[in-house]
Amino acid sequence: MQRSLNFDFVSDGLLTMHWQDILRPFTTRVKGVKKGAMVRWFNTNTFYFTPVVAGELLSDGTAVSRTLDPSLVRSGAITKVVLPDPLTFVELAENSCYTSREGLIFAYCDNVLRPEVEHLSKMGIEYVQFSAPAVVARFRGEPLPRAELEQAGEGLRTVLKGVKVKSGYHTFFGDAAPYLPALLDLIPTDDFGFDFTETDPASLGSGEGLIAGVADSRSSYVESPGELAQRMGGLGERFRRITLAPSCDLQYVPRSVADSKLRNLATARLRLTGK
Amino acid sequence: MTDHKAFPTQEIGSLPKFSWRTKPFRQQPLEEGDIGVARAWGRRLGVKNLELLLRLLKKRSEFTDEEKRRIVEFSMLFAIAMQEKAGGHLDEPGLDLVWSGEQARTEMYETPVSNIQGFEFLGRVRSFDNKYWREASVRQKPAYLRDYHFEEFLYTKGHTSRRAKIPVTDAITIVAWSDHYYYTRRWRKRSLPPAAKRFSARREMTLELAGVIRRVVRDLIRRGAREIQLDSPAATQYQTVEDAKLVAEAFNETTRGLDATFSLHSCFPPKYGYGVLFPHLLEAKNCSRFSFEYANRDSYAAGLDGGRRVGYEDLKLFRGYGYEKQLGVGVVHVHTDRLPTVGAVRDRILYAQKVTDLPPENIFVNPDCGLRTRKPEVAYAMLGLVAAGAEEAREALGGN
Repeated sequence: MQRSLNFDFVSDGLLTMHWQDILRPFTTRVKGVKKGAMVRWFNTNTFYFTPVVAGELLSDGTAVSRTLDPSLVRSGAITKVVLPDPLTFVELAENSCYTSREGLIFAYCDNVLRPEVEHLSKMGIEYVQFSAPAVVARFRGEPLPRAELEQAGEGLRTVLKGVKVKSGYHTFFGDAAPYLPALLDLIPTDDFGFDFTETDPASLGSGEGLIAGVADSRSSYVESPGELAQRMGGLGERFRRITLAPSCDLQYVPRSVADSKLRNLATARLRLTGK
Repeated sequence: MTDHKAFPTQEIGSLPKFSWRTKPFRQQPLEEGDIGVARAWGRRLGVKNLELLLRLLKKRSEFTDEEKRRIVEFSMLFAIAMQEKAGGHLDEPGLDLVWSGEQARTEMYETPVSNIQGFEFLGRVRSFDNKYWREASVRQKPAYLRDYHFEEFLYTKGHTSRRAKIPVTDAITIVAWSDHYYYTRRWRKRSLPPAAKRFSARREMTLELAGVIRRVVRDLIRRGAREIQLDSPAATQYQTVEDAKLVAEAFNETTRGLDATFSLHSCFPPKYGYGVLFPHLLEAKNCSRFSFEYANRDSYAAGLDGGRRVGYEDLKLFRGYGYEKQLGVGVVHVHTDRLPTVGAVRDRILYAQKVTDLPPENIFVNPDCGLRTRKPEVAYAMLGLVAAGAEEAREALGGN
C-alpha cells in the first residue's frame, strides 16, 4: 500500500505478531527489562505491557530487527522504523534499578536505542522515527520539565551520532505548543512531527523538516485530499521540507478507513506539489 | 444493600466460549473433538439434559436458528454451572452472584450497538495483541430498539439458585469505542478549541445514549433484575476532570429513578491508576459497589504488607474520600495463564479489607475482569481461586 502510493519511507505498520505494542520489543528482548502489568495506552482503548526495569539495560541491537518481518527487511521493502522516544519509555516504564529518571533516560539512549539504531542502519533502514506522545500528553496535567527535554536531546545526540539514518521526532495525543520552540532547539532529529488535531499549525513557527499530522488517526471520518491540503495553510513557506502524515498511528481506525486516509494523503501531496 | 456473608464472591465479566458454541455461528462444521469437549465439560459440571445437547451437536453443521438458540442456552447453563461449582473441594463451593458469562452475546460492545438504532459498523480495530472489536459509527441520534438483555437474564434467573446479576455495558464505553460521526458534525462549527469540541460531542452522545440504556435497565428491573452491573472499562480512557465527572453523570442518568442494586465495573486504567476518577466518580450516588481490577498490577507473593500488595494501592483512594459502601476487588489477573496461590489471593482480600477498613461483607471478591480470553480450564481454575481465597480469608478473620 505505502509503496504503491510512492511514500518516501515505508514502515511495517507494527503488524507482525511480535510487535503487539510499540514497547513490546523492549519489554521482551532487552536485558534488564521484565514484562509488567497491562496498562492503558494514553487515552485510547489499546494497551501495552509495562516495561519493568529491574536491572541494567542492555541491548545487543537486535531487539527491534527481530521483531520486523525478516523478508521485508532483506528485500528493502521496509525503510522506516518507529521507536519509542526516551521520554515516553521513561514515563511508561516502572524503574526499580536506576536512581533517577535522568539515569534511565541516558541508559535507554546509550544501551538500548544506540545499538538498535546502529544495527537497523546496517540492515538498510533509512529513517528512524521516535514516537513521543508522553512529551505532550501529560498524565495528571503536569508539564514536562525542560531539563528532561534537554536530557532526551543529549541522549538522542549520542544515539544518532555518526549513524547513517535520517530521523524524526513525532509528538501526538497532546498540544506541543507549550514546548515550542524548545523542542526544535533541543531535540537533534532532522524532522519534527505534530498531531494537527491537537497542535495548532499556527504555533509551529518555522524550521527545516516538518511531519505534518494532518489526517486524524482517531476518527473514522475520511478527510478529502482537499481538506488535508487545506490543513497545511501557509506551512510550505515556513518549513523547507514537509512530510504529510496521519496524526498518529492508524491502528485506532478500521483498516479500510486507514487505507483510505493514506490514499488521500498521497493525493493531497499530488495537489500540493504536483508529484 | 448489605450482604451478611463476609467476602461474597462474583464473576465480573465474560467467560470463555466453547468451540461448540462459536462454530455454528461462524458456519464452521463441528468436529468430534468439539462434541467430546461438550461431553467432558458437561459431565464435569453436572449439566442437566446433557444428552439433548450432544444429540443436537451431532448434526455438526447447518443448524437452524432454533437449534442455535438452544446451543446458546446450553452454553449459558455451562457458564452458570462453572460459577456455581468453582472450587468444588471447598466447604461452600461456587460464587454468590452469577450470570450467564456473556454466552448469549457476541461481546460486550457489539451486542448493545447492534440493538440500538443509529449505529453502522465500520470494521475491526485492535484493542491489544490479537483482540479486536468491531467499531461502529454513530450516524444519527441513538434510539431504543429493544431490551437486548432480558432473555438472557430471564434464562439465568430461571436456572440458578444463586443471586443472579446482569451486566450492562454503559454509555461511556459505547461512546469511547465508537466513532462519533453524528455528534462531531453537530459540534464542528462551534467556535470552541478542538479538545472542547470533542468533549462536547462526547458528552452529548454519552447522555443521550445513557437515556437509551436506562430504558433497557428499567425493563430488566421490571422483569425481576435486582443486581445490575454497569460495565465501564472505558471509564479511565479520557482522563480529564470533565470526563471523570461525566462517568458519574452518565451513571446517574442511566439509573435515575430506578430501584435496584447498581454497581460499576472498570479495569485497566493508564499508568497512574484510578486516581484520575477521584473524587468525581463518587458522585455516582446510585452506585452501591465499585468493582475494579487490581491483581494485574500486584505481586504473586503471599503477604499483607504494602510492598507485596502494591497492586491494591488505589484502594486507599476510597478510604481517603470516606467511602462506606461496597467494593468489588479483583483478586486474579485475567490476561495470563499463570495462577496465583490461594494464599496470595487470600492475602489480597485481607489486605483490601485492611486498607479500606470496610466491613468484610462489603468487600466482594472477583476476577479482575472478564475471563473470555482464557481457556476454559484456566478460567475455571481462576474462579475456583476466587472462591477458595474468599473462604480462606473468612477463616483467617474468624481466627482473629
